[in-house]
This record gives sequence, C-alpha cells and structure tokens, in this order.
Amino acid sequence: MSTTLTADNIVTGYGKQEIVHGVSLSAEAGKITCIFGPNGSGKSTLLKAIVGALPVWSGTARLGESTLSNLAVHEVVRQGLVLMPQGGGVFPRLTVMENLRMGGYAIADRRLVEQRIEALIEQYPSLARRRRTAAGSLSGGEQAMLALARALVSEPRFILLDEPSAGLSPAMVIETLERITTLTAHGIGIVMVEQNIREAMPIADKLYILAAGEKRFEGTRRDVRDDRQIMEIYMGGA
Amino acid sequence: MDLFLQTLLNGLLIGGVIATFTIGFQLAFGVLHVIDFAVGGWVVLGGYLGYYMGAGLGVDGFLAIPVAFMLFGAIGYLIGPILYNVRNSRTARPELMALALTFGLFTLLRGGMLTAWGFNTHSVPTVLSGESLAVGPLTVPLIRVAAAVFAIAIAGGLFLFLYRTRYGLAIRATAENRQNAALMGVNIRRLSATVYGLYAGITAMAGVLMGAIFSVNPEVGLRYTLFAFFVAVLAGLGSVGGALVAALLLGVIEAFVATYVGSSYSLLAIFGTLFLVLLVSPRGILRHGL
Repeated sequence: MSTTLTADNIVTGYGKQEIVHGVSLSAEAGKITCIFGPNGSGKSTLLKAIVGALPVWSGTARLGESTLSNLAVHEVVRQGLVLMPQGGGVFPRLTVMENLRMGGYAIADRRLVEQRIEALIEQYPSLARRRRTAAGSLSGGEQAMLALARALVSEPRFILLDEPSAGLSPAMVIETLERITTLTAHGIGIVMVEQNIREAMPIADKLYILAAGEKRFEGTRRDVRDDRQIMEIYMGGA
Repeated sequence: MDLFLQTLLNGLLIGGVIATFTIGFQLAFGVLHVIDFAVGGWVVLGGYLGYYMGAGLGVDGFLAIPVAFMLFGAIGYLIGPILYNVRNSRTARPELMALALTFGLFTLLRGGMLTAWGFNTHSVPTVLSGESLAVGPLTVPLIRVAAAVFAIAIAGGLFLFLYRTRYGLAIRATAENRQNAALMGVNIRRLSATVYGLYAGITAMAGVLMGAIFSVNPEVGLRYTLFAFFVAVLAGLGSVGGALVAALLLGVIEAFVATYVGSSYSLLAIFGTLFLVLLVSPRGILRHGL
C-alpha cells in the first residue's frame, strides 16, 4: 500500500479567472496531509481540480500510476479517490440509507454495497438508529458523520476533505478529526483542507500552506518553528 | 348536486392525466435545470401518433401508448445532450439560452405539424370511444376512466423506477445536487439524456390519452405547455409530489369553469388561481420548490 497521490504544477480556476497558479503536492497513503491557507487562497479549488470537478488548465494529477487529469469527475471515484465537499454534501431529501447507497453508486455489485453499508453503519450508532430519516433532518454533526461514512462505502484509497470542521460544534470537530485519524490506520490517505489550524495541526503528518493560489510552505509538523511562522506566511510574508 | 359531483369526477380524471406529464416535466427541470417549453409539443406529437396509428393503421389507439413511449423516449434521449450542452455552456446566460432552445424546438414542432398535418382536429380512436359508464346518477365516459387508469399506471411505474432502482436513486440524488451526485460517480451528462428521454416518452404517452379524451391539433400544444407551467409554479419548480396535487387541482378548476362559467374562461381562472397562490405562498403550495 504505497500509493501516492500527486499533483504536479496544477493550474486551474473558474471561467477565465485563474485561481491556482501551478501548485504541486504529494500525499501518502495512510497519512494525513493538510492544506492550510486563508480564504480565497485556492485550497478548495485545488481539490476540485484534482478530482476533475473543475477542468485542469495545465499540470497533472496522478493516483499511483494512473493519471487523473483526463478523467471526468464521475470516473475518478472508480479510481479510488473520493472528495467530500464542504458541508459534507449529503443529499438532504434522501434518507440516511439512500445517501449511503449513493456512496456505493460506482460499485456495480449491489449486494457488496449493502454488506459494506451494514458493516460501516455499526460504527456509527447515531446513523444506525435513523436509517430511514431524511438526511436533511439530521443534526449538523450527524450529517458530517453520514458524509464520512458515505465516503467510505466505495472503499477509497484516498479521501479528500474540504473543511470537514466547518460549521461543527467544538465537540463535533474533535470527534470528526478523531474518526478521520482512525481511517489512516486502514491505509486510507487523507488530504484535508482546513481553516481550523489549531485542531487540525496536531493530526497532520504533512502540511502545505497556500496563499493567493501559490504554495508558500511545505513540510512536516516538526518543520514548523512556531505559530508565528504560520501567521507570517498567512499574512503574505516568508 | 349530481352535476357538481360529475364535474368533480371529470376534473380529477383529467387532472390524473395532466399529472403524468407534469411529473416528468418537474423531473426534467430538477435534473437538467431547464424549463422545457416544448412540453406541449411532445403531448401533441403523442396525440398525432395515436391518431395515425388508429386511423391510418386501423389499430386501437391505446396500442400507441407503448409505441409513443419508445419512439419519443428515443428522440428525447438524442435531444437531451444538446439541451445539456447548451444549459452548461459558457455563454453569459445559459439558463436563458436553454429556454430559448426549447422555445425554438416548440415553435419548430408546432410549425412542422401545421405544415404537415394542417389545422384539422383529430381524435385518437379507441375501442372505448363513445362508451360510458353509469355510476348511480353519474355517467362517466369510459375513455376518461381508462385514461386515468393508464395515467395511474404510468405515474406508478415512474415512482417505482425512481424509488426502487439504483438508477432511480441516482436520478433523485442528481435532482437534489448535481455536483455531489457526480462526485459519487454519476455520469450527469448521460443521466440527463436518459431523464429527458423518459420525460419526452411519458409526455407523449399522456398525449395519446389526451388525444383520445379530447382531440388533437397542432395549436393545442401551447395550452399544455401553459398547463405544465401552471403546475410547476403552483407545486414549486422541481417538486414531484407537489405536481400531482397541483395537476389534480388544475383538472378540477378547468372542469368547474368549463361546466359553470364557460370553457373560454378556463385559462383566466387557472392563471387567477396561480396569481393568488403565489401572493400567499411564493414557493408553491407544498413549499417544496426551489
């Protein structure tokens, strides 16, 4: 399990506006890679480009040996890469079970999907009790759990998370990050975009800082001298 | 009192048929984000197919129902990607471009039908045409009952497909959020084509039924487009459940106005209702719209 997710010199944006100006990164399976950066630094845009939800203008994204950049967004899931969008992206009018089944949509074997859902849902008691509830009437924390469980149904090699802590209560942030950490034990690679540096920093194996669509920092947690250094990068120094 | 019940029953039966194509219309809007002006065109084409199969080939008009579904389903499946491309193009106002495209399609269909088939009004001949059923003091034309039964079967089939199959689940998920459905592995482009095909096929089937109950000529298409708009706005754009309620209401309003006031006032009554509902509840009667 030594798959690597790499992005090489990715340039992308919306419409004609270039947002990400040639960013490279690499993430290891079984590790947590965090991308920090102020609002509008292009973090989420980069994730969307990697999974094909936005066209890549130049550069390539690779998962192991396979190139992702010329795949359509719906094909990337089948390569073992799942993006969990900001807010989780659950379908509010679908039930908990239907949301989970959508997580396994890329898998043709329906029985396998049901088996995986049953195995997964045991680990999420709050979801197991509310299988037929519309996802929209779950609490924010439960929706976050549902989004995470749904991302696991396809048994991805990498999960990209766009601000998993956004909008959650402090207790839920801790629970969500704990759950994310346990995933790495199963060899799943995590790439996480976060604003909440304080909570995410302790679990990060590797971190990147983006500002204004460019990479400003790359290293491990130990490479960071102190908080002030991060702040300086944020403010446009370094 | 009998007249009242008779009118109510007639309205509900017609409303059931209207419901079939307005449910499809809502689904197409939910997935493609296009308000399809051409809806009335598909209804009329279905009616003509029924008429020509009945009058030309001498088979029963009801046999045109599955043929309409397959033929116009296939045509819709081919048109779907064009609509999808226009709606998702990088033009300044893709939603208006898509609306203009369906309006153009509607105009083309109407003009083409006028040229080919003229202004004459035809009706779809069926084995039940002219027969009626006496229920106590009420007489119900059998064709309306049969049409309502077909409508229930069509709507029921659609709901089974949407709620009991994997692909149906993907359609509902896509109608809620396209980007997130694509992230789950749904090929949105192909699904959009399928949904438009499904909708065009269902609408043409409803057209056969409408052609059997009333009659068909190229000019009635606009009326059905207005019906679909009425139902969509009343129900809330994209709301499938609301469409059923709104279509039945539309059928009843139309029947009562036609019986007690005069059928030339029916559109006035329909849009008056719409105006009042929007004043009170801008998101539609079930408050489910977008």
